[in-house]
Amino acid sequence: MRQARETSHLASSTPSRTKTMTSAVGDFVRDSVQADRIQVNGIKVVSILLIIWGHLSVDNFLTPANLNAIMYSVSAIGIAAVGMAFITLSGNLFMLSMAATAALSTIVFASTLHFGLPVALLSVSVLGIAIGSIQGVVVGTARVNPIIATIAVASIVMGVGSYVSGGMTVAGKGDASWLGIGKFASLVPNQLVIFLAFSLAANYWVERTRFGRELRLIGLNPVTAAYSGIRVPRTLVIAFVIAGFSAALAGGLFASQAGQGNLKLAAGLDFDAIAAVLVAGISIRGGQGKIIDAVYGAIFLALIGNLLLVHGLSFEIQLMVKGAVVVLAVILAALIARGRVH
Amino acid sequence: MKSPIISLATNLPLVLTVALFAAFTVTLDNFASTQNTYAILQSFALLGLITLGLSMTMLVGEFDLSVGSMVAVAGLITLKVGGDDLVTGAIAAMAFALLVGMVNALIFVWLRLSSLVVTVGTMIALSGFAYWLAGGKIVNTDNFDAGALWDDSIFGIFSARSLLTILAFGLMAGVLKFTRLGRDMVATGSRAHAAQACGVPIGRIHLFAFVLSSLCAGLAGVLLSISLATASATMGSNLLLQAVSAAIIGGIALAGGIGKPSGVLFGVLILTILNNGMSLLGAGSAAILLTNGVLLLIVVVLDGKTGAMLQIFRSKSLVRQG
Repeated sequence: MRQARETSHLASSTPSRTKTMTSAVGDFVRDSVQADRIQVNGIKVVSILLIIWGHLSVDNFLTPANLNAIMYSVSAIGIAAVGMAFITLSGNLFMLSMAATAALSTIVFASTLHFGLPVALLSVSVLGIAIGSIQGVVVGTARVNPIIATIAVASIVMGVGSYVSGGMTVAGKGDASWLGIGKFASLVPNQLVIFLAFSLAANYWVERTRFGRELRLIGLNPVTAAYSGIRVPRTLVIAFVIAGFSAALAGGLFASQAGQGNLKLAAGLDFDAIAAVLVAGISIRGGQGKIIDAVYGAIFLALIGNLLLVHGLSFEIQLMVKGAVVVLAVILAALIARGRVH
Repeated sequence: MKSPIISLATNLPLVLTVALFAAFTVTLDNFASTQNTYAILQSFALLGLITLGLSMTMLVGEFDLSVGSMVAVAGLITLKVGGDDLVTGAIAAMAFALLVGMVNALIFVWLRLSSLVVTVGTMIALSGFAYWLAGGKIVNTDNFDAGALWDDSIFGIFSARSLLTILAFGLMAGVLKFTRLGRDMVATGSRAHAAQACGVPIGRIHLFAFVLSSLCAGLAGVLLSISLATASATMGSNLLLQAVSAAIIGGIALAGGIGKPSGVLFGVLILTILNNGMSLLGAGSAAILLTNGVLLLIVVVLDGKTGAMLQIFRSKSLVRQG
């Protein structure tokens, strides 16, 4: 049953070239409302409606200043969401150590910044890859429950973080303005460029390469995957390394923006990344959904957050609205999945 | 007849507790003093209630990640709603805990989602709710009498709070050993589909487990806030981590169906003795957090393996097969 669904998904993503224009449009519409695509496509439509509503209801919504604010708020969280999507797609639910990894990497970023921005970015990358690979080995080879394993790693990382920083803020002695406030062609923030480049590369990797197909098959059915000769532990380690790396990179972005390292800078990153993955309809059963969906999820949530903010609602209300949106999305996804099974 | 290896393996939590207590008694002067034993039992009272509830959801083969945030929310409700009238506050908090447990169970049963996913949602929702309740402040009460009532030492080392926790463990052990409900819980955790086919109402068993774990965490939060006369949004952090570790050390298998409250009791004692001893040795909270994380990682890696080993040892002596 699951394999059959997967085949139809693969077939639908590579339409035949000989189709006429009308049938191509028909295919597009049919693909868009297919059970496993309907949620993310719904998110895209609602995002556009939100932008229109924002433009009509708030005076300065589509000004460069506010668009910039949205771009900054989506970049780091979006990168983490893309990393989280690797874990969810691999059938290992969520990684609950992302906030901790990002928090420690803000400290590392700030303490290595005096060697220059490239060294600071390299340091956080190495840190993220190391933390990710530990979890990958534990989950991938020892088959430990991913939620519990990543909670354990989160507390180890936070323990190390508060030991290293002594619970204090580490001021960055160096220039991180290229990453923190720099803009590409003085239009879009460099952070957004990094986010989009990372997401597109990750999406291409999963959609078009052997690794991606292995990851998806493991997510759909790890036992079948193992019997088919898929390198399950290796693929899972890579997925966790990507997720760890993306969390650390998100931490680097936070630190460069704040110009300092602090364990509280990345608080809530786990939730934001999970929320982006869930609203985008990436299946928690594994194997279904695309990496790029997490990007749409992150943009959608950033838009909601920004709209609530410009309408003057408090942080707690924003949190609860976002929570409600995520709960609705999960219930919706479960109902869609149930409709598909019967 | 049990072989010595089996009795050692099944009594491992007890053996470890005694060994750890002895080791700290030798290395630290004041460790075995009345005051410090009282302090250990006070931490035990808090962690024990949470772990007892969590371990019952683990026994039926599910998981409740929301217990840590539930502690904070229950504590905040107690002081926010109650003010100085802590009884009203406690009732409100327990009613809310009941509601959360039912929501967890209903979403789990109706939508057939993984309990990890359901409760990761309630965990996040509850911590958001806790921050909203606290409003960035620490909530206090002027009613110190209730705290004194619960925390006054009894026979030197006990308090009403720790005795209540021990009583809860005893009750749960009785339920599991002597009632149909207890046997149904083990059956559900061992193999839910088989249990259902045999007529076990697994939906109701899941409801009971989730409500129990939510109520235990709620009660722990209520008692903690009464005892401290203050509550904050972060007071449940790290408790989930310790509760999972304590449950697994206490012999509860993550896969479900294996474990008993007596083991969990010693699992909790091991963790509280370890943390107490470490802080007496001068370790900071960072080091304790790190140790707890490493410990959880080790026990969770060993979880499947020791479970399988014990299974071979006692496959004939238990109802549960494979």
